Amino acid sequence: MTNFFSFDNLTYYFEPGGRSIQVSGAVEPGNVLALQGPSGSGKSTILRILARLLEPAGGEVVFRGQGWLSFPPLTWRRRIHYLPQKPVMFAGTVLDNLWLPFGLAALSDMPKPGRDYLEGLVAAAGLPPSILTQDALTLSGGEMARVALVRALLVEPDVLLLDEPTAFLDEGTERLVQTLLCNWLQEKKERAAILVSHKDEDLQAFPGLRVVNITPSEREG
Amino acid sequence: MNHGIVSISNGQLALSLVLVLITGLVSAFLRLGLLKSLVWGTVRAFVQLTLIGYVLAYIFQLNSLPVIIPIILLMSFIAAREASRRVNEPTQKPLLVSFIALTASTFLVGLIVVGLIIGPEPWYSARVMIPIFGMILGNSMNGISLALDRMYGEVRAHVAEVEELLCFGASPWEAVRGLVRKAVSSGMTPTINSLMVVGLVSLPGMMTGQILAGADPREAVRYQIVVMVMVAAAVAVGCLLIVGLSYRKMFTKDLALTGDMRRSIG
Repeated sequence: MTNFFSFDNLTYYFEPGGRSIQVSGAVEPGNVLALQGPSGSGKSTILRILARLLEPAGGEVVFRGQGWLSFPPLTWRRRIHYLPQKPVMFAGTVLDNLWLPFGLAALSDMPKPGRDYLEGLVAAAGLPPSILTQDALTLSGGEMARVALVRALLVEPDVLLLDEPTAFLDEGTERLVQTLLCNWLQEKKERAAILVSHKDEDLQAFPGLRVVNITPSEREG
Repeated sequence: MNHGIVSISNGQLALSLVLVLITGLVSAFLRLGLLKSLVWGTVRAFVQLTLIGYVLAYIFQLNSLPVIIPIILLMSFIAAREASRRVNEPTQKPLLVSFIALTASTFLVGLIVVGLIIGPEPWYSARVMIPIFGMILGNSMNGISLALDRMYGEVRAHVAEVEELLCFGASPWEAVRGLVRKAVSSGMTPTINSLMVVGLVSLPGMMTGQILAGADPREAVRYQIVVMVMVAAAVAVGCLLIVGLSYRKMFTKDLALTGDMRRSIG
């Protein structure tokens, strides 16, 4: 078994000495790992820990055979990208939003994608080309979610941490997004995703999907 | 054209109690419960100002740099304490950074004003240096506490945006620079606005004082112009320093927002 991306005994306390979670899992290139558990069990928390936005009480993550702390945090987050459930849009047009990451020093090695390319990509997410010049803050929740997803794919992370990627979508666009993600996974080697979703359709959409269950433990006594 | 100072005698000073009485009547009439504070405040103002009058007279007479510098540092410390008290929920006690920002900006701008522009004899004349540095400090203090308070407020209100940028590999500075810019601008705005209306809406205290002391108004405005641009410069430098010294403290050593900053999203 190659060790592409795995996490071992990640531990997090919701309150000091209180309710806690401890999770292990691994995902292979081209595959998807789903985190499952009742709502409030800490699925998003695990994704945020994996993105190093939250510090766990214990445990380790290994990416391509190397411990996570051997990566500078900025490099890590650029490679292991977390996409929050609630899409985040910045003031400006959709185009400004899609180009935003390319203004960062961490992405200076990547050329800014051209407009034609972006039109193709938003079309694959079921959005019209005219959306590029629209004010991003006026979009509907479903449109924002898809723009945020397109933006995440553009920076070509190695592992995508998806938090309910279809929560704001109707059935039709949901399927488009699933296909987009499936294609993205296959397009290049060495890509994987970790998914939190309460929709069975999301889970069935990905071949070779594996599941890890999260059960928070209560404090004893 | 110097009419000499019109001084206030002890008897005339005592008459100003009439004004305290007016304030007291308003408070009593509306039952504001402010009488105790009013009396205490009046006594304190009288004692503090009388003391400072004697202290200043003594210092002006000594007129020695080794005395002036510690006094200005003490003033900076008191201003820093006041500024940091006004910042809501900072992630670090802002006293030290406030002191550094205030002292650095005050000395930088103050020395330009005293040494280069006014140029008294000797250049460190206490009569010029202490009031000038005091005016700079008072204004910088307001500016930096506004800027710092606003910085924390803006970041707390935009946690999702900051984290989104971090997720693309943004450095802490890249993640907050837009918000920090707003914070610095909010610290500087009152000073810049005051440049617009000065002389039209109000005559600044310093100018009023000089005029009452018998100075030609045309002379007094020259001082006022210098004072206003000096305050603007000190506020700008102070705000820049304070956010520059503080923004990093909103992040952990793993360059993520601290738990204290993210509390709003849980």
